[in-house]
Amino acid sequence: MQRRQFFSGAASAVAAAAVSPVAMAALPEPVIQTSADTAAPLAPPNGRPYQPVVTLNGWTLPWRMNAGVKEFHLVAEAVVREVAPGFFVNMWGYNGQSPGPTIEVVEGDRVRIFVTNRLPEATTVHWHGQRLPNGMDGVGGLNQPHIPPGKTFVYEFEARRPGTFMYHPHSDEMVQMAMGMMGLWITHPKGRHPQIAEVARDYAFLLSAYAVEPGAMTPRVAEMTDFNIWTFNSRAFPAITPLVAGLGERVRIRVGNLTMTNHPIHIHGHEFEVTGTDGGPVPRSARWPEVTTDVAVGQMRQIELIADEPGDWAFHCHKSHHTMGAMGHDVPTMIGVDHKGLVGKIQKIVPDYMLMGERGMGDMGAMQMPLPDNTFPMMTGKGPFGNIEMGGMFTTFKVRKGLAAQDYRDPGWYAQPPGTAANEWQGAPLDAQAPRQTLPGTAPGAPSVHKPATGSGHANH
Amino acid sequence: MKRLSTRLSALAAALLLAGCASVSPDGLRSDVAQQLQGRLPDEAALPATDAQAQQLAQTQINAWLQQPVDADTAVRIALLNNPGLQVQLAQLGVADAQRVQAITLPNPSLSLGWFRNGHEREVERKLSFGLVDLLTLPWRSRWQGWQMEQATLEAAQQTLLLAADTRRAWLNAVAAEQALAANTRMHDAAALGGELARRMAVVGNFSKLEQARELAQQQQAAAQLARASLAAEQAREQLAQRMGLWGQQLTFTLPQALPPLPKAASDLRSGDDAEATALRERLDLGALRRNLEVSTDRQGWAALGAVFGDIGLTYSRNTSTERDSGHQERTRGWELDVPLPLFDWGSAASSMARHQVQANAAQLRESAIRARSEARSSWRAYRTAWDLAHQQQTEVLPLAQLVQEETIYRYNGMFISVWQLLAQARSTTQAVLTATEAQRDFWLAETDLQLALSGTSPPPAGASARAARNPAAPAAPQNEPQGH
Repeated sequence: MQRRQFFSGAASAVAAAAVSPVAMAALPEPVIQTSADTAAPLAPPNGRPYQPVVTLNGWTLPWRMNAGVKEFHLVAEAVVREVAPGFFVNMWGYNGQSPGPTIEVVEGDRVRIFVTNRLPEATTVHWHGQRLPNGMDGVGGLNQPHIPPGKTFVYEFEARRPGTFMYHPHSDEMVQMAMGMMGLWITHPKGRHPQIAEVARDYAFLLSAYAVEPGAMTPRVAEMTDFNIWTFNSRAFPAITPLVAGLGERVRIRVGNLTMTNHPIHIHGHEFEVTGTDGGPVPRSARWPEVTTDVAVGQMRQIELIADEPGDWAFHCHKSHHTMGAMGHDVPTMIGVDHKGLVGKIQKIVPDYMLMGERGMGDMGAMQMPLPDNTFPMMTGKGPFGNIEMGGMFTTFKVRKGLAAQDYRDPGWYAQPPGTAANEWQGAPLDAQAPRQTLPGTAPGAPSVHKPATGSGHANH
Repeated sequence: MKRLSTRLSALAAALLLAGCASVSPDGLRSDVAQQLQGRLPDEAALPATDAQAQQLAQTQINAWLQQPVDADTAVRIALLNNPGLQVQLAQLGVADAQRVQAITLPNPSLSLGWFRNGHEREVERKLSFGLVDLLTLPWRSRWQGWQMEQATLEAAQQTLLLAADTRRAWLNAVAAEQALAANTRMHDAAALGGELARRMAVVGNFSKLEQARELAQQQQAAAQLARASLAAEQAREQLAQRMGLWGQQLTFTLPQALPPLPKAASDLRSGDDAEATALRERLDLGALRRNLEVSTDRQGWAALGAVFGDIGLTYSRNTSTERDSGHQERTRGWELDVPLPLFDWGSAASSMARHQVQANAAQLRESAIRARSEARSSWRAYRTAWDLAHQQQTEVLPLAQLVQEETIYRYNGMFISVWQLLAQARSTTQAVLTATEAQRDFWLAETDLQLALSGTSPPPAGASARAARNPAAPAAPQNEPQGH
C-alpha cells in the first residue's frame, strides 16, 4: 500500500483547503494533507538551498516567500489520523494530519508562521529547542496570550542555529499533546558545517503514544502511563514506512520523543553515532558508537550511520511492549496451564471461545479472530519467513545495492544469499529429553541442590 | 263452587309442579359447563359422574401426560382430575338434591281418633296439610331454582379460579425450569473459572488470593444453583398438585420455554372495552344480579309467610256411632287453622326482606365498582408487563448479546482474561433469566386479566408475581407460598 502510494506526490496528496482567499485576507492559504503516507521530500523551490528530509508517514509544509521572509501557515484542528490501515483515531493536529507537517528552513532564514486555531479551546505553539525572542516562545500566559478558537496569531523569528527541533502546544499542553498535536522542525545548515555531515538520506519522525480503548476512536487524554498505541509519527507497525538506503550511503535519522516515557531506539546490523540533539550538533570528539540510543521524554536524537550491510534490518524501540499493539495490561499469564477437558466446556458456554496464551502470546500474530471495531491488533505484520509478531514502534531499515538517490520505494523483502540464513539442524537430534520446567531438584534424575553451610530452608532468614 | 274448583285446579297444578321437581342426573355439571362456555380452553371438560366416563378421562389424562404438558392441557387435566373441584361439584349435587327435597310438598298428615263414652263411639279422621306451603310453592320453587343457579355460578367461578391457578402454576413451573437451566449455565461458567484458577495456582501463575476469588465465585454460583433447583421442584409440585397427579403420573414433562410474547402492541387485548366486558361477562356479578332479583321476588311472600306461616287446612270426617242403637252420624268438614295476627303483622319480616334487597343492591353496586376497577388495573398491569417483557426481549437481551460479543472480541485481542469472559457469560445468562421472568410476569398478568374480565376477582395485584418471584435470587425469602 505504501509502496503504491509513496510517490503519489505532493501535488495530489496536498490539497488546498476550501478557505476563501478573500476571507483569509493576506494570510497564506493553508495547505492541508489528506494522506498518511510518506510524502516525497520537498525540494526547496526558492530561498537558500538545502537537502530536504523525508518525514516518515508525513510531509513537509510548503511556504511562500514574502519580501525575503518564509511564511508558513499552520492550522490547529481536529483530524482523523489513519494510524494503521483500517484503524482511525480522532486526534488534534495541524493541516489535516497528526503529527503536523515538518517545517524545513535554513539557518539564518527569517520565518513567519501564521497559526490559526480551529480547535474548540485555546492553543499556542512552542518552538521546542529554538533560540528566539522571549515573546515568540509560545508558552501561553507566560510569553503571550493564548490563541482563542477562531483566531490567528503570527510568530516571527530567525532560525538561528541548525538542528532538529519540534513544535507543540504550550496551552492545555497535556491534553493537546495526548491528542497528537506536534510536529518536526528542521533547520538545515547554511552551506557546509564542520560538525554536520552531508548525508544521502535524511529521515525524521516523532515518537508519540496514545491510550485508545479497544473499539473506541478518541484517545483517553487523562492517561499518564498505560498507553496502548505506540507510534512513529502516529503510525504503528506494520503501517510505518520502511527506511531505505543504498548500500554504502550515509544515512541520518532524526527522532524526537513527545511521549511520557523514554524510548531506547535500536537498530540491527549497524552501529551509529549520535551526531546531534535538540541542543545542536554533537562535537565529533564527544560521539561514540552505539546500536541503541535512549531518547528521553522531550528530547531529540539525530543519529548517523553508514548503510554498509545489505538486508532488511529491524529498527525499533527496545521496550518490548512498545512494539506491541493494543493489549490488556492486566491479563494473567496462562503459560503452562493445563486446559485439558476445559476448552470444550468453555465453548459450550461461550461458543466463540478460543484457547490463547497457553504456550505464550506468539500465537496472537497468526490468529485472525474478530476484534472490536477500529482496534489495532496486538501483534501483526507478515515477513518473508512468517509473522513478525510486532506492532507499534517498529519498522525496517532496508539496505540495498544500487538504489537511485531519489528512490525511496520499498524494495520488498531482502533475498538472502543462499546459505546465509539460520536454518534447521539436519544432524542427529538431541538425545536426552528436553529439560522440564520444574522446581530445582525435583526433576527426575536431576542433581539435588545443596546450599553450602546453611541450615534448613527458611529458618535462617 | 266454581271458584272452589278453580282453586282446586290451581292447587293441583302446584302439586303437579312440586311432584315433578326432580334431581338433576349429573348434579348440575352441565349447567356449570354451560356457564363456563368460552371461558376455558377448547375440549376442556368437567369430570363426569359415571364410572365409565371417569375411566375414559383417566386414559385421556395419561395420554396427555406422555407429551410435554402445555398450559391448556394442564388446565384440562386439572379440571378433570383436581379432587378439590370434584368436592365442589359433588356438593353442588348435594345442594341440588336438597333443593328438590325442599320444594317437594310436605306429606299431608292424617290423624285418626277413636273416642268412646257411655253411649257413643266416635271415630275422627283428619287429613290436614300446611296451606301456606302449598300457596307459596311457586315462589319457593323459584327461590330454590335461583339458589341452584347461584350455586352453579359459584361452582363455575371456582372452576375458573382453579383453571387460573393451574395456568399460573404452569407458568411458574416452566419459568422455574428455564431459570434452573440458566443457573446451571452460570454455575458451569463459575465452575470452569474455579477449575482453571486451580490449575493456574498449580503451575504458579495465580496467587492464593486470585485463586480464592475465583473459587468464591464458584461457591456462590453453586449455592444459587441449589436454590434454583429447589424452586423448580417446588413450582412443579404446585402444578402437579393442581392437576391432581401422583405416583407414576409425576414424571410428566413441560415445554422448555414459555409461550412467546405477542410481537406488537397491536396484538394485545385493547383496554378500551375492559370495563364493559367485565360488567357483561363476570360470573360473580351475574350471581349478585340473580341474588338481587331473588330477594326482590322473595319480598313478596316474606310477610305472608311470616304472618300466615302455619295456616293449617284440615279435612275431617268424623263418625259417631250410638252404642246402643248402632246409629251412625257422620260429620264431614273443613277446618282452617289460622294464627291471629295480633302481635306479628309481618312487619319485621317484610322489613328484613326489604333491607335484604337494599343490601343486595348495594353489594351488587360495590362489586360492579370493584369489577370495573379490577378490569382497569388488570389491563394496566397486563399492558405494563408486556412493555417490560418486550423491552427485555427487544432491547435488553440484544444489548446483553452485544456486550457478550464485544467481550469475546476483547478476549480475542488479549485485552481481558478468560475469567472476565466467563464472568460476562454469567452476567449475560443473568440477563436471559431476567427476560424470562418478565415474560412469565406478562403471562401471569394475562391470566389475571382474563379472570378479571370474564370470571371473577383475580388475586390481589402482584400476588401471583410475588409468589412466583425467583426463589434462586439470594435476597428472596424462601418461605413465600408458591402459586395460590
